[in-house]
Amino acid sequence: MNFTLHIWRQENAKAKGRFETYKVSDISSDCSFLEMLDILNEQLINDHIAHPVCFDNDCREGICGMCGLYINGRPHGNDDGITTCQLHMRKFNDGDEIWIEPWRAKAFPVICDLVVDRSAFDKIIQAGGYISVTTGGVPDANTIPVAKRFADMAMDAAECIGCGACVAACKNASAMLFVGAKVAHLALLPQGQVEANERVKKMVCRMDELGFGSCTNTYACEAECPKQIKRQNIARLNREWIKQLFSGNHKPNE
Amino acid sequence: MQGLADGYFVLPYTLQNYLADQITVGHISTDTPEFDEAEQSVRQREERLMENGKRKTENGELHTVDHYHKALGKIMWEYVGMSRNEESLTKAATMIDELENEFWQHVQVPGDIESFNPEMEKALRLADYFELARLITADALHRKESCGGHFRTESQTEDGETLRDDQNYMYVAAWEYQGHGQPETLHKEPLNYEHIQIATRNYKN
Amino acid sequence: MDTNKLIKISSITKKLLVGLFGAFLLVFLLFHMCANLFILAKDGGDAYSAFCHFMGTNVIVKVFEIVLFATFFLHMCLSCWLWWQNRKNRPVRYHQPSRTKTAKGSKLAIVTGSLLLLCIVFHFYDFYFVKMNVVKGTYMVNTEQLMIAAQKGNQEADPSVEQALIKCMTKEGGISADYKWLRNIESADKEVLQKAYPEAEFEPDFYNMARQKFSVWHIVLCYLVFFFLVGLHIRHGFESAFQTFGLNHYKYSKLIEVLGIIYCWVICLGFAIVPIVVFLGL
Repeated sequence: MNFTLHIWRQENAKAKGRFETYKVSDISSDCSFLEMLDILNEQLINDHIAHPVCFDNDCREGICGMCGLYINGRPHGNDDGITTCQLHMRKFNDGDEIWIEPWRAKAFPVICDLVVDRSAFDKIIQAGGYISVTTGGVPDANTIPVAKRFADMAMDAAECIGCGACVAACKNASAMLFVGAKVAHLALLPQGQVEANERVKKMVCRMDELGFGSCTNTYACEAECPKQIKRQNIARLNREWIKQLFSGNHKPNE
Repeated sequence: MQGLADGYFVLPYTLQNYLADQITVGHISTDTPEFDEAEQSVRQREERLMENGKRKTENGELHTVDHYHKALGKIMWEYVGMSRNEESLTKAATMIDELENEFWQHVQVPGDIESFNPEMEKALRLADYFELARLITADALHRKESCGGHFRTESQTEDGETLRDDQNYMYVAAWEYQGHGQPETLHKEPLNYEHIQIATRNYKN
Repeated sequence: MDTNKLIKISSITKKLLVGLFGAFLLVFLLFHMCANLFILAKDGGDAYSAFCHFMGTNVIVKVFEIVLFATFFLHMCLSCWLWWQNRKNRPVRYHQPSRTKTAKGSKLAIVTGSLLLLCIVFHFYDFYFVKMNVVKGTYMVNTEQLMIAAQKGNQEADPSVEQALIKCMTKEGGISADYKWLRNIESADKEVLQKAYPEAEFEPDFYNMARQKFSVWHIVLCYLVFFFLVGLHIRHGFESAFQTFGLNHYKYSKLIEVLGIIYCWVICLGFAIVPIVVFLGL
C-alpha cells in the first residue's frame, strides 16, 4: 500500500511548526502505524532527506500510554478502543492521505515534532491521585472486603493509561476523564474513601491551574479513550466535587 | 512475558521497602564528582556515536540504529533462542562482537547531542543491549544443562524433555560487570531448598 | 483579563452553576409551554387572558420575573465565559476537523444559545416589550375599572372616545363572554381611551396578539425555527445537567437519555403546536 503523509514538524517548543509531506510505498497492510513511521524514518535517514520524525512510543502493545498521534481528525486514529501503536495500515485505503498531528493543548506543550510534554498529568496525580499509607509488604488481597461490583467499577476506572487522548479529543482540552478515572478508582475503594474529599479538591484545583479546560459534556473523551473508560466516571467526579463543597475546610495547598 | 521479564509482579513486594527510607534523604545534588564522571562518560559515548556520520563502511554505507537493532535481534533469535547449543552459542558470541564493532564504527545518528534526539536515545540503548546480548550468550554457554527456558540440545531426556544437572548447576549465576569487553566475574548464589522436594516436571501426563 | 484572578471558582463549580440555572430555565420552559397551550382553548381567550392578568399583576410572579431574568443572564454569561476560556486552551488549532463522535447538540450549544438569545430579543419585541411600553401592541382592560375610571374622568363627551369605545365593544373578540374584559384594543384606540380614562390600567392582550402574529406565515416560520433551536439546545442541556450534577450511573444513564429526548420533543412540539394550529385556523 502507498500513502501520502502530512506530518507536523516542529524543531522545539518555541518553533512555529508546519506540515511536511512525505510519501511511503510498499507498506504491508499488516504493518502497524508506528512501524510505518519507522520505515519512513529509515528512508529519511538513509537518503538524507530530513531529520527523522520524533514520536513517543514504548510498549507498542497498547498498555503503557506513551504513544499518541492525532490521525486524520481522531486521537489514536480511526478505530475504537485502541492506541496508536495498535492501529494497522489495513484500516486505511491504498493511496490515502494521512494527516498526523501531535496532541494539541496548552497544557501539553510540544517538545519536538509529534512529541508533547504530558508531565501535567503527573503533576495532577502528585496532587492527590494516591492513598497515604505507610508502605510495607502488600497485604493479602482479601484482608479488606470489597464487593465485586465496586471492585469491577474501580478496576474499569483504574485502566487509565494516562495517554492523554481524552485531552486531545476534547474541544476544551479538558482532563476531566483522566481526573475522573483516578478519583473514581480511589473513591470506590475503602482505602481511598478516607481522603476522598481532600483528593478531589486538590486534583481538580491542580487540573484547573495547569491550564486544562472545563467539561462541556460532549463525551469526545469517552469516544476516543483507548481503554474505553466511561463518562460515568466524570459524573462520579462531579458528585465527589459536590460532596466536598459541603464537607468543610480543606486548604488546597496542605 | 514482559511482566515476568521486568519484575512487574516482583517489584511491588520488594522495591518499596528498599526505597522507603530514601524519602528522608531529600534532594540529591548534581554537584558531585560521581555525577560529573557519569555525565562525562555518557557524553563521550554520544560524541563517539555522532562522529560516525563522518565515516563510511567500505561500501560507502552508513546504517541506522534500527538496522543494527534488527541485526542483533536476528542473531539472538537464531543462535540464542529457546533451543541452543555449544556451537550456536559460540557462533553467536563471535557474531555479536563483530556486529558491535561495526555498530560503533558505522551507525548513523542524525541530529545533535544538545537537542531532543530519539535516535541518540535508541543508539545508547542498543549499545547496552550489545552488553546484555553478550552476557546472555556467555551465561548460556556456561550453564551446560537444560533448565526452564534454557534448553541446551546437548542435555535432554530420551523423549526430548529438559535434563537438569542439579549436581553441578543448582545455583543462580550472578555476573559482575568488569568493563566493556572484559569477561564478567561469576558469583554463585546456591539454591538451597529446605521445605520442598526437588522434582522434574512432566507435562505429558 | 484573567478573570481567574478576580474570582477563583473551579471549572466544575462554574459548570454546576450553568447547569443549575439551565435546570431552572428548563422548568420555566415547561411552565411557559403549558400556559401557552391555553391559547388553543375555544373560549375566546378567557382562560389565557385571565392567566396573563394574574402573571402581570401578582407580586410573587414579579419577583420570580426578576429571578428569571437574572438566571437567563447568568446562564448566558457563565456559558460564554467558559466557552471563551476553553477556547484558549488550544492555542494552535488542529488542521484536521475532529471526526470523533460526540453527544448531540453538545458542541453546538454556544451557537444555539447565541441564536436563541437573538430569537428571544425578537420574541420580546413581539410580546414582552409591549408590557414595558416600548413597543405598541394590542391591549385589554377590565370593564369594571373602565367604568370607575369613566366616572372619575373627563365628563365632556368626546366623540373620538365614544367612537373608539364602540369600535372596541363591537369588534370580534372585543367584549369577553362574562363582560368583564374589553379585549383586542388596537394601540391607536388604546391611546385615545387611556387619555380619556387615565386611571384605567390597560394590559397587553397577549391572547389576541398571539392569534394575530400566528396568522402571518413568516412569523410562524420564524417561531418554528426558534423552537427547533430550543429543542437542539435542551437536547444537550437536559442530559448535560444530570451529568454535571453527578446524577449519572450505568444503571440509569439510558433512562436519563430517553427522558431527555422525550422532554426535548414535548417542549418543542408543545410550543410549536400553538402557532401551527392558529395559522391553520383550527
